[in-house]
Amino acid sequence: MRRYWAGLAVLVTTIAGCGLGGAEPAPATSAGATGGAVRGKVSLQTWALKPKFTDYVQGVIDGFEKTYPGTEVEWLDQPAEGYSDKVLTQAAGGTLPDVVNLPPDFAVPLIKQDLLLDVAQADPKLAGEYVPGGLDAYRYPGRPGTYGYPWYLNTDVNYWNSELLTKYGLDPDKPPATLDELIAQARTLKEKSGGKVYLMSRRPELGDLTNAGVPILSPDGSRFTFNTPEAVALLDRYRDAFKEGLLPRDVLTDTYAGNAKLFNEGTVAWTTGGGNYITSLATDNPTLAPKVVPSAAMGTPPLYVQGLSISKGTKNAPAALALARWVTSAENQAAFAHLVNIFPSTKASANDPFFSKSDGTNSGDAKVLAFESLAKAEVLQPVQVTEAMTKLVRQQFALAISGEATSKEALDAAVAKCDELLKS
Amino acid sequence: MTHHRWFTPWVLVAPAAVWLFAFSVWPSINTVVLAFTNAKPLGGGHFTGLANFRRVLDDDQLADALVNSVVFMLVCLPLLTVLPLLIAILVERKLPGIAFFRTAFYTPVVASAVVVALIWGWLLDDRGLVNGFAQWLGVIAEPVPFLTDRWLLLFSAISLTVWKGLGYYMIIYLSALGNVRRELHEAAAVDGAGPVRRFWSVTLPGVRNTMLLISVLVSVSALRVFSELYVLSNGTGGPGGRDMSLVMLIQLYSRGFTGHLGYASALSLVLLVVTIGPMLALLRLNRKAA
Amino acid sequence: MLLLTVSPFLWQLSTSLKSLREDIYTGTPSFLPQQPTLSNYAEVAETIPVWSYAANSLIVAAIVVAGNAVGATMAGFALARLRFRGAKLLLGLFLATLVLPGEVTIVSQYVTVRSLGLADTLLGVALPGAIGMLNVLLMRTAFQAIPSEMDEAAIIDGATAWQRLRHIGLPNVRGMLSVVTIFAFIGAWDDFLWPLIVLTDPDHYTLTVGLQYLNGTFSANPRLIAAGTMISFLPIVVVFAALQRFFFRGVEEGAIKG
Repeated sequence: MRRYWAGLAVLVTTIAGCGLGGAEPAPATSAGATGGAVRGKVSLQTWALKPKFTDYVQGVIDGFEKTYPGTEVEWLDQPAEGYSDKVLTQAAGGTLPDVVNLPPDFAVPLIKQDLLLDVAQADPKLAGEYVPGGLDAYRYPGRPGTYGYPWYLNTDVNYWNSELLTKYGLDPDKPPATLDELIAQARTLKEKSGGKVYLMSRRPELGDLTNAGVPILSPDGSRFTFNTPEAVALLDRYRDAFKEGLLPRDVLTDTYAGNAKLFNEGTVAWTTGGGNYITSLATDNPTLAPKVVPSAAMGTPPLYVQGLSISKGTKNAPAALALARWVTSAENQAAFAHLVNIFPSTKASANDPFFSKSDGTNSGDAKVLAFESLAKAEVLQPVQVTEAMTKLVRQQFALAISGEATSKEALDAAVAKCDELLKS
Repeated sequence: MTHHRWFTPWVLVAPAAVWLFAFSVWPSINTVVLAFTNAKPLGGGHFTGLANFRRVLDDDQLADALVNSVVFMLVCLPLLTVLPLLIAILVERKLPGIAFFRTAFYTPVVASAVVVALIWGWLLDDRGLVNGFAQWLGVIAEPVPFLTDRWLLLFSAISLTVWKGLGYYMIIYLSALGNVRRELHEAAAVDGAGPVRRFWSVTLPGVRNTMLLISVLVSVSALRVFSELYVLSNGTGGPGGRDMSLVMLIQLYSRGFTGHLGYASALSLVLLVVTIGPMLALLRLNRKAA
Repeated sequence: MLLLTVSPFLWQLSTSLKSLREDIYTGTPSFLPQQPTLSNYAEVAETIPVWSYAANSLIVAAIVVAGNAVGATMAGFALARLRFRGAKLLLGLFLATLVLPGEVTIVSQYVTVRSLGLADTLLGVALPGAIGMLNVLLMRTAFQAIPSEMDEAAIIDGATAWQRLRHIGLPNVRGMLSVVTIFAFIGAWDDFLWPLIVLTDPDHYTLTVGLQYLNGTFSANPRLIAAGTMISFLPIVVVFAALQRFFFRGVEEGAIKG
């Protein structure tokens, strides 16, 4: 049971903390050092795509084997839960598959240990074909190179429960666009609903500090710096809102997904989620899904990246590179994006009208909004922030919002704890 | 004086001993070694002397975790040593439909943690059944913060632990009760002893060894509480992380690609030292009672 | 009280019977599905090879149960009824393992199993749990409960240690043995992370790991997951129901057998 929960924790923080960024552009290396004929066996590991996308992935693989005769792809799909443990034991045991789907926060520790192949060196055309934000996610400060082909991208947009908004005197067509408006509307909702329904149910995270102009890390990456007066002011605002009863008490112990749970229950009228959120809501709570209206995220939207990395221990680098490039090609990614609301990381897909035109459903609107947001989306949380740090920060922020510690004390404590982890 | 060849016991314990060394003692030695290094799951592993232990002393969350663990143990120990025995005596009778009751008590043990979290959320959160009912009765005006207050959260987790533990320890007691000889009960009954007296003079002595083992198990698992607190606090350990247990701290530092295995190992050794105390006390108590 | 203990089970059952048109995560959960349907179960069976996963789980559980039944019984008997040098130390070590947290050791355990050449095999999954230290202690307690006069009588009759184990020990610990069997079975059946780490080939997956396919990226349907959980819950109920009469055997049959 204990192991089970640990796995779940990893899963939740993975969803919450996919952000990475602040990397320097790698020098474009020329010449295909890993050249050679594309043939033979090559293994591909994906994350929780079976069985829903079995046909799609198998189709992509069949296309690859047809284009490169003599190749044979061994496809492994790992379950959603426990993936970080699986990859960790594979890495520690030297059994990483040739091509492996790694979100950036899994890839970075492997980059540091020199376990992944620098694909920028092997593939000079990389920078020309993929969006910079996606490539940045697979770079690490102080280590030249790019260690993964960006695959699909996503970001967060706002989702509002239009039924609740209308019922309690708010206009779903004019959702709040700033924190001030959000707090004001939360007050209206609270008063009109007699405290039964909330608008806000999200605790600020490091990404919110970035959005408020707070530098999370010192420029040289050696220490944390987010205990600034601006950060104090932001936490104070949340503390006051909490005291006023504008947020449910659950925010003190909720995770990133907790707010979606309250939204599903109809207790909260606002949540944030990826472009595919309404689709999954249609499965969980079919009567709620049609009442949801999307709007663009407040501030800079977060960028979430998935990518395919290549194990440095691969015995078949030419085929591995060709396969990773094949799976992440503009055509194959576009086909994937037609199945589910995710977005290709290839520059060629930017002009595809499919993404900029809604089919008129709220899910289609969300897709267009998310696609437009991606253009200005950034990775809001630096790569150096680990799972443990995220949790310690979360605890301190909750303490500040509950009013049991001042915002300054909580921020100082969070910075001190993160610094200690960064240094050891 | 022995009545068997010298190697017989060793032949009997050999398989268990091999497992003991391969899957328990060896990793434990590993843990002790790691505690003096800055090991990470990938790389690291340089000798850092007592640095981890110095950090342990400075860790303000450790004090809270120790307090939580001790409170947990002090409440769970009596409840989970006694209640399952009473339930076992209750469901031991041959009554129609009793098999269903036995199974019902056991279901929480095998229930998935996710579902347990959902159910207890519905029970205890601000809009949950318990608060709703109490407000309806007019006992309270404002919802009770069962899941967000530092102490209430701890006691909610204790309730969950007891709820889950009842069935588990009940089963062990049931099998032990089976070994209490019927003639003893009958003889006592002939002597005119009522059910209460028979409980004290026949049942209790009959299950004493089991009770000792269970009390050791209960206190060890109370000190090592993890999933209950984790589930109810959504993994956050409450505001400020003040409802973290020792194992939650260990998990926090050891998990993932960037896990601080060295520091987590040092915390494991703290846990080891903390647990040995009550265990020795219980064993000693038992020897005195014998 | 009873309702509370079976509520997780009921909720799971009700979710697994809910149709796609019905909400699942509401503020006031309804335990009765409005449009009950069995189609979720059919879909689980279509989506993943439930039977072969269940067979794999059974193999693992069988190895673990057998290992514990034999290994823990032998060791428990020796520790409870035989005197030998080092017994105390060994007992102390068994107790100590209950205390040490295993959080830090999972990678090193994987390395051990892999170096034995058992990565990606069901035997590798079963191995670490094949003799549980807790079970040794439980069996020892059960053997201790046998009155020593019976042993002494047997010794006077010239019975060897093995004979005493077979004819005095075993008949009197059947209750605990069934407890150990249940614990071992459930432990092996429910384990998730360890089989996931050891196994690579999806054909070797156990049921808990295989059921995770219902929880895919962009495609989790809680109804299917609930149906899958119910399927995996069934064997536990069967094992429990089959073995629980042994807990009472001593009581029902009256005396201890000699």
